[in-house]
Amino acid sequence: MPHRPAPTFSENLYSRSAILHPYAHYTRLRAQGAVVWLERHRAYALPRYAECKAALLDDATFVSGRGVGLNPISNRFSRGTTLNSDGAEHAERRSLVAHRLTPRALRALQEQVQEQAELVVADAVQRRHVDGVEDLAMALPMSIVPDLIGWPQEGRDRLLAWGAATFDVLGPINGQSVRSIQPTLQMLRYARTVAKRRTLQEGSLGADLLKAVDEGRLDASGCPKLLIDYLAPSIDTTLSAIASALYLFAQHPDQWQALRADRGLLPNAINEVVRLESPLRAFGRQLAEDTSLAGADLPRGSRVLVMYASANRDESVWDDPAAFDITRDASHQLGFGHGTHGCAGQGLARLEIRAVLGHLLDRVECIRLAGEPTWAVNNIIHRLERLPLELIPAR
Amino acid sequence: MRIHVDYDRCESHGLCTEQAPRLFSLDDDAELTYHAEGSDVPADQQALARAAIASCPVAVLRESS
Repeated sequence: MPHRPAPTFSENLYSRSAILHPYAHYTRLRAQGAVVWLERHRAYALPRYAECKAALLDDATFVSGRGVGLNPISNRFSRGTTLNSDGAEHAERRSLVAHRLTPRALRALQEQVQEQAELVVADAVQRRHVDGVEDLAMALPMSIVPDLIGWPQEGRDRLLAWGAATFDVLGPINGQSVRSIQPTLQMLRYARTVAKRRTLQEGSLGADLLKAVDEGRLDASGCPKLLIDYLAPSIDTTLSAIASALYLFAQHPDQWQALRADRGLLPNAINEVVRLESPLRAFGRQLAEDTSLAGADLPRGSRVLVMYASANRDESVWDDPAAFDITRDASHQLGFGHGTHGCAGQGLARLEIRAVLGHLLDRVECIRLAGEPTWAVNNIIHRLERLPLELIPAR
Repeated sequence: MRIHVDYDRCESHGLCTEQAPRLFSLDDDAELTYHAEGSDVPADQQALARAAIASCPVAVLRESS
């Protein structure tokens, strides 16, 4: 097959309106081709499922170590994080903390997560009229991982804003990413102070890292970035999935009834939520060598955009991709990434989402929308900002 | 059809056990057991095996011939 230049998309994928209404753009990108040149962002977009998966599986060619953002500033100061590393270096960093996130390690946490979810849900059901984001989706992500990592209590009030900024900053240079530089640096500075003063709680994942430094397995300067690596990505993302689940079930009461009738559908329902309203829009990679992908020649050094949220609505993979159907097999969705860099915290994320939805299933007959929801504006994270709900208690 | 499991990279997320419970299980220590190790995947399990491969979040399952 003769190689042709990739088709060009000239609009801004990161304008406020494109961020708030992304799916029409993704549909057009998928129709344009498997590899599309984003003129505004100087990157090759991969809007379809097959190429996204292929790129994620070929992490020797599609490298992360030169940044996964779309601007050189964040790609420079993200160096030294697990997200932005490759090969043996990445494996070493990941092994330092991933063992605390495996299902085995999470067993010890299960009870705590369930208890907390029960309290949050009981309170919300009693109040009946709630904000699904602030009163239901936020509670667990704001406490479970901070506890796990041993983050000091007094440094928690800014976590949501800081966590959001660490994603926002990875977009192209725009108002969003520029405004996010300062809070991102503040979070890093705070993490440095925490590591230096050793104010991380005993027995935590953070304390493990300090031990690794003491034993010479980890460079002391790498510790704050690792803390952020596991903390920052855990909040907005999990919050997004819980809030989107509530929104989808409010719009589709038949799906809520189906889930109430068969709790066995819950693990797949979570995959379906993450597929349809993927918390992460896209991350970048850089090409380590000249590469040919789906008939397009891509030169070494090119930036490539792996569009998880678009791949998860690829018409060639999913029937009626915009429909919410908890009975379809959504297990191969790419919302948690895939392969070497696949989300290390997804076991914990699933546990938190399952706990909140599980207790709601026990107590709530029907979730009703009680007002117009609004979406947060963030270059990377797709999540609700406000979700007025009425919870109709089960009798 | 055979499946190669990269046990060193397996993080026991358990999605394969949901897809193909007759091929994959997690033991009491949450270690993965692959029940067709060293042999061909039975014909009636191949579709489920492919779904399991596709579902692995860290891609430690590979089809080998």
